[in-house]
Amino acid sequence: MNGANFIVQALKQQNITQVFGYPGGAIMPLYDALYDGGLDHLLCRHEQGAAMAAIGYARATGRVGVCIATSGPGATNLITGLADALLDSIPIVAITGQVASNLMGTDAFQEIDVLGLSLACTKHSFLVQSVEQLGPIIEKAFQIATSGRPGPVLIDIPKDIQLADIAESPLFEQLTIEQKLTFPLELSLIRQAKEMIKIASKPLLYVGGGVGMANATQALRNFIQYTYIPSVCTLKGIGAIEHNSEYFMGMVGMHGSKAANLAIQECDLLIAVGARFDDRVTGKLEEFANHAKVLHLDIDAAEIDKLRIADLAITDDLNEVLPALEVETYISAWQKNILTMKQDFAISYNHPGKMIYAPALLHLLSEMKPADTVICSDVGQHQMWVAQHMFVDRPENHISSSGLGTMGFGIPAAVGAQMARPNDTVIVVSGDGSFMMNVQELGTIKRKKLPIKIVLIDNQRLGMVRQWQKLFFDGRYSETILTDNPDFVTLASAFDIPGETIVIKSQIQGALTRLLDSDGAYLLHVSISEEENVWPLVPPGAANDKMMESLQ
Amino acid sequence: MKYLLIIQGENSPELLERLLRVCRHRGFSVQKISGETTENEKSLHITLTVCSDRPVSLLSKQIDKLFGITQVVAISQEQAIRASA
Ligand SMILES: Cc1ncc(C[n+]2csc(CCOP(=O)(O)OP(=O)(O)O)c2C)c(N)n1
Repeated sequence: MNGANFIVQALKQQNITQVFGYPGGAIMPLYDALYDGGLDHLLCRHEQGAAMAAIGYARATGRVGVCIATSGPGATNLITGLADALLDSIPIVAITGQVASNLMGTDAFQEIDVLGLSLACTKHSFLVQSVEQLGPIIEKAFQIATSGRPGPVLIDIPKDIQLADIAESPLFEQLTIEQKLTFPLELSLIRQAKEMIKIASKPLLYVGGGVGMANATQALRNFIQYTYIPSVCTLKGIGAIEHNSEYFMGMVGMHGSKAANLAIQECDLLIAVGARFDDRVTGKLEEFANHAKVLHLDIDAAEIDKLRIADLAITDDLNEVLPALEVETYISAWQKNILTMKQDFAISYNHPGKMIYAPALLHLLSEMKPADTVICSDVGQHQMWVAQHMFVDRPENHISSSGLGTMGFGIPAAVGAQMARPNDTVIVVSGDGSFMMNVQELGTIKRKKLPIKIVLIDNQRLGMVRQWQKLFFDGRYSETILTDNPDFVTLASAFDIPGETIVIKSQIQGALTRLLDSDGAYLLHVSISEEENVWPLVPPGAANDKMMESLQ
Repeated sequence: MKYLLIIQGENSPELLERLLRVCRHRGFSVQKISGETTENEKSLHITLTVCSDRPVSLLSKQIDKLFGITQVVAISQEQAIRASA
C-alpha cells in the first residue's frame, strides 16, 4: 500500500467513519485512496466549511471531527476553522496535503509553510517527514486532540509521502492500549475545598464548556442535586445544567441574565467549573465577583491564576473531583434571594406592535422543537438571543462559536451536526450578515439532502455592530447597513431548499410548524426591525452589575 | 521583571519557533537565548532570559503544555543571582 492508503486505514483504526474536505493537487493521492477506501467523505464547498463541519460533528457527538484540504489555498482556508476549534477546545484533526518534499522551500506552486502558519491556531501540528512517521503521528494526533483540554491538531503531509510505499498496515501492533494516567486526588485539597464550600453562605457555581468536554454533565448535576448550590453558565456551558434547574439563572456576562450577573457580584464563593474567566464573562475583571473567594476546577493548569487568582484550584478530572466535593450546605437565605431575583427579573416576551420580536419567536421555537434537537447558531445579536431564549438540556445540543465568535459558523456546523446525528432535528439560527459568510455550504446541504432547518433572522444590518455603533459610536452606522441583501428565499431555492418569509407576529406559529414538519431542508426567513437590541448589556469596561437594559 | 527559563524538549524542526512564538504572544520579550541539541539531535536544551510585567508562571505553564516539552524551570533573576553568589 502507499502512504495515502495507509492514512485511510489509520483513520479507520481511530474509529473515524466520516470526514469532510475538498480536493486539490497536493492531496490527490489521499483523495484517490478515499475513492474506494471505505470512509464517508462529504465534499464541502469551501475548506472553511469543511473545518466547521468537522467542528459541528465533534461538538454534536463528543467524537473527533476530521477535515482534509490541499496545500496552499486549501490549507489557508482551513485556518479560521482551526482557530475556532482552538478557542473552543474542540477536538478536530485536519489533514493537509503539502508539495513534494524536494519542492518544499522553493516557493513551489501552491506551497505555503502550513506548519509555521498553524502554530498560533492549533493545539499541536505535525509535518510528516517520512512515510514511516505516518502511523505514529496519526496516532499521536488523535491522542493530543482528545486528551486533557481538547483542541485542533494539524497533520501536513507532502505529496511524495502520500505516494511512497509502506509495508506495514497500521491495523496491527500499534493498537496501544489507551493509557489514561490518573493520579489519585490530593486529599488535602479536597478537604480544603469542601471546607470552603461548607462555610460559604453565598456559594455560586460558574459553569463553562469544560464540563461537557469532560463528559462530566452528570457529575455536575449530581453535585447540584446534593448541594443545591445556585448556578450560572457561560455561552459554552449552556446545556450542562438542565434549563429548569431550580437555582439556575442562565448565562452570565456581557449579555447574561440580570439575575446571573447580580448573583456573581454578590456571591462569597465562586466555584468555577471548566470555565476560564473570559473577558466577555467577567466584564471589568477587578470587580468581577469581588466579594468572593474562588475555587477553580479545570483540567488545564495554565488557566489557573491566568486572569483571576484562585484561592484554591484542582486540575484533576471533573468526574473525580465533583463527586468528592459533595458536601451539605446551609444556604437557605441565599437560595431564597436567588429565587426572588429569578422571579423579579424573569424575561417578559410582551412586545408591542405587529413586527416580529425575535426573542419571542426563538422561545416559541424552543418549546416546539422535538426532544434532543441540536441548535447551531451563527454570530451576532441572534446568537445572543438563542443563548438567552432557547433552551437545551445537553451541551452537545447547543453549538455556537463562542471563543472566536466566527461569523459563518452556523451553516457548516449544522452540516456536521446533522451528519453526526441523522435522526435528530438540527436547527441553525443565522443572521443576514453571517448567512452570507458561508452561504456556499447550502450546496453541501443540497448534495447530501440534509434536512437542516434554517431560521434566518434578517434585520438588514450587521446588527451586533450596529448596536454598538448606536450605543458607543454616536449612531454613525459605518458599513453595517445591508438593505441590499439578496432575496434569501430565492437564493435558497437555487439549492432546492424551499422556504418562506414572515414579517408579522400572526405568521409565526404556522411558519414554525411548516419549518419543523418539513421533510427536507427549509429556510424560514424572518424579517425584523433593524432597531432591536440585545439586552441586558454590560458595556465594555464596566462591572457586571452595571447593566444597560434599554436605550435609557 | 527578568526571569531565567531552563527548558528541555524532544527536538523537532519547529520546536524553537513554537517556543519563541509562545513567549512573544504571552507578553514576554526574549533578552538572551542559548541552546543546543544533544543525544544525536534527539533532544533540545534551551535557556532563555525573558522580561515582562506579567508573572512568569503565565509563560511557564503555557510552555509546559507544548507537546514535546519535557521540562520547564523558571527562576526569577534575584533567585538566580542568589544561587550563583
Ligand atoms: C468573521 C467575522 N467577521 C466580523 C465579525 C464582527 N461581527 C460580530 S457580530 C457582526 C454582525 C453580525 O451580523 P448578522 O449575522 O446579520 O447578525 P445580527 O447581529 O444582525 O443578528 C459582526 C460583523 C465576526 N464576529 N466574525
